[in-house]
Amino acid sequence: MEGEEFAVGCFLSIKTTLGDEFEAQIISFDTLSNILVLKEKSGPRWNIRLLKANYIKEFSLLRQGEDPLDVNKCFLDLTSLQAREESALRQADADSERFGVGVTSEAQILFDALSKTLPVHWDKTVIVVMNDVRVSSPYLPESVSGGTPAANERVKKVLEFERKRMQTCGTSL
Amino acid sequence: MYVLISWNNDKIEEMNMQQVVLSKSSANGFGRRRGDREVGARLENKVLLGKSNQGRIQTTGSLAGGKTGGYESSSRDRLVYLTTCLIGHPVEVHVKSGSIYTGIFHATDAENDFGIILKMARLIKDGTLRGHKAITEFVSKAPSKMLIIPAKEFVQVIAKDVAVTRDGFASELQLEKHQEILIDSVISQSRHFEVERELEPWVPDEDDPRCPELENIFDGTWNRNWDQFETNQKLFGVKSTFNEELYTTKLERGPQTGELEKEATRIAREIEGEETGDLHLAEERGFDLHDNLDIDEEMRFSSVYRGRGADDSGYEEEEDIMLDSHNIETFGDSSDSLSRKSVDFTCSQSSDGVRMPSSSSLVDEVPSFQAAIGADANDSGFNDQARQPACELPSKSFSVSDSGASRIEDNLLAEHGGSSDANEFAEKQSPPENLQLSNSVAASGYFNMRAICNAESQSLLNDKIDGSDKAGPSANHTTQAPSNSLSKVSEKPSSSGELSEGPASSNVTGKKYSVNSRGRPGSSTSSNSDRVGSVSASSGPGLSPSSSMGSLSSEKSTLNPHAKEFKLNPNAKSFTPSQMPVRPPYYQTQVPPLPHTHMPVSFGPVLFNPQVAPIQSPQAYFHPNGPQYGQQMFLGQRQVYYQPEMQYKGRNY
Repeated sequence: MEGEEFAVGCFLSIKTTLGDEFEAQIISFDTLSNILVLKEKSGPRWNIRLLKANYIKEFSLLRQGEDPLDVNKCFLDLTSLQAREESALRQADADSERFGVGVTSEAQILFDALSKTLPVHWDKTVIVVMNDVRVSSPYLPESVSGGTPAANERVKKVLEFERKRMQTCGTSL
Repeated sequence: MYVLISWNNDKIEEMNMQQVVLSKSSANGFGRRRGDREVGARLENKVLLGKSNQGRIQTTGSLAGGKTGGYESSSRDRLVYLTTCLIGHPVEVHVKSGSIYTGIFHATDAENDFGIILKMARLIKDGTLRGHKAITEFVSKAPSKMLIIPAKEFVQVIAKDVAVTRDGFASELQLEKHQEILIDSVISQSRHFEVERELEPWVPDEDDPRCPELENIFDGTWNRNWDQFETNQKLFGVKSTFNEELYTTKLERGPQTGELEKEATRIAREIEGEETGDLHLAEERGFDLHDNLDIDEEMRFSSVYRGRGADDSGYEEEEDIMLDSHNIETFGDSSDSLSRKSVDFTCSQSSDGVRMPSSSSLVDEVPSFQAAIGADANDSGFNDQARQPACELPSKSFSVSDSGASRIEDNLLAEHGGSSDANEFAEKQSPPENLQLSNSVAASGYFNMRAICNAESQSLLNDKIDGSDKAGPSANHTTQAPSNSLSKVSEKPSSSGELSEGPASSNVTGKKYSVNSRGRPGSSTSSNSDRVGSVSASSGPGLSPSSSMGSLSSEKSTLNPHAKEFKLNPNAKSFTPSQMPVRPPYYQTQVPPLPHTHMPVSFGPVLFNPQVAPIQSPQAYFHPNGPQYGQQMFLGQRQVYYQPEMQYKGRNY
């Protein structure tokens, strides 16, 4: 069913069926695919959201605005896009070492915190620090084993610190 | 204008998410299929798979052919354009089930309904888990190389900080450069490289674990009551053989210690409180010389000397800029007849610290000088010297002072008894040799200027000179080469720097020899222009590699066209090193300043080329307790040697 177009440039406040709420400006709406292209930030770089219109629970028009996309400035350099993708892939490859598989997000957070100042890597679900100290589930200070006393202490300390921080600030995914 | 939303009332079909690991070829197949389709010309260009399309594509509001024209097409266009902008960008895809995937946007099916392909995708939120469980119990899974999300599954795609227009692209490139090591091909292919990256001061992350006991670890190092050797012994059972006196002058502690200490601190204070024109020294001492606003961070903290106000003259060696002030302090501004071509460079380099013994003192070393020259017969030998950091200094220093310069000349000439027209020699320099020299010199390339500046290179210089003196009767041209280099070096001061030339050493002996063993140029207070001049001059060929050499390759014009041709002195004594212990490949600057200590004699070996036939029976090149020095010889532990046969490893200009 074809409908009229969304007016480009309008600012909407939208609630999705998944519970997301946000405000954004319309860049485009493609009726065929039913995708609404939204822009959420100002400046040279945008936060873009492609939203399937059928998941919009409700929305309201905040105000009208101008077309945010200046077609005269729209250039695509495919080479650099390719390059960017390749570099992102390289980065992701390197990063993949960082993510534990089969570990809880809490464990991942602790791993990340340790990795800021210590060389760490995953060994299945065990965090290995400096190739010596091992922290296994449930990643409490008691779960720290191995290494020289000094290193062990250090890891315990960081772990405690991080857990305290997690409690006070709360973790969010 | 009003807004209408067209609701898609189609039933949302259940579709299983496909988690497929596709090989690259399949991925390409996917794209190719799309590419084969008939589309409007513009759409076709917008191949979203980063594939073969090169060059820029421009999207305008209108779309030619294919779709129905008008607004609808343009909105489609925009969608296509924006999804293209996402290629290579990290995105989050929310799917029907509530799960969230994050990955690198690879492609979308723009022909159809915009299904999404992600690379290196990870599940970061599992839609099947609810509430608090979702956070604590979520267990990570391995990332998938490629993840296809059918159009019907995805709810939304979120991408942050996407560059959409040209301005965005430019800033994005900058950001990327920040983050990744750029390989050449990336740089050459990218079109936005001219922009320099914006430097930001480092701030620690907010959630950095601060371990306060680790901060300020360097405070109060003197009174920590901690003995490193003792600790080492305890922890690891390592017995230390460290003896401070091996590395510095033995302090005589006796009844006079208090007085001596007082005197020493007084002198130290005096020196440290001296005014200086050198930026670095001033900074150390707390003076503010920054009247000239051109001084940026680099000038303040870099040790690369760029010639205050003068051009680089193609010099590429690094020099310790500290020498600068010392030279000025010691010698003032020399404005003599000396060729000043590289003077701006060399002048600042004369190190006060390096008090080269007047060539007179090197009378004995004349042979060694010959040897050095002989050694220069092979490039490696020569380069060897060239590489010695100490060498550089002399060349510079002697270019600096006028008085020094003339003395240098004399000294040089004095090195070799016999030639009466030392001056003449100094003046003339055969061009072909110069060229030859410049080649070898240029080849010597890399000069460790810094080492020279800081080192008690005097002895080194001595050695050099000695070495060069020992060139021996080897082929004229070989000896010529080094001499030429020497001349070139000494060219600054206008003398050809032919060490091997000159009247008998008698002239030289007359020169006062005072070696300021203090490596730091800062010790200039006691500097003697006397010494500088002669010493630098006598620095052997190896010294020439210093700046003057560096400029050789680029500026033949600095060669002294009037330099005298090198004439071998058949009476020159051959050089013999006193010892041949193992030495490090480069002269390190850590040689501690020894008050009035002559630098290691053993420097001689550097110049010694065993291959040179005419070298006579070894004679001690340096008399450790020679009266002419009247100083304690520093033999033993702190030797600096260059292996004569060391291959040249420096840069080739």
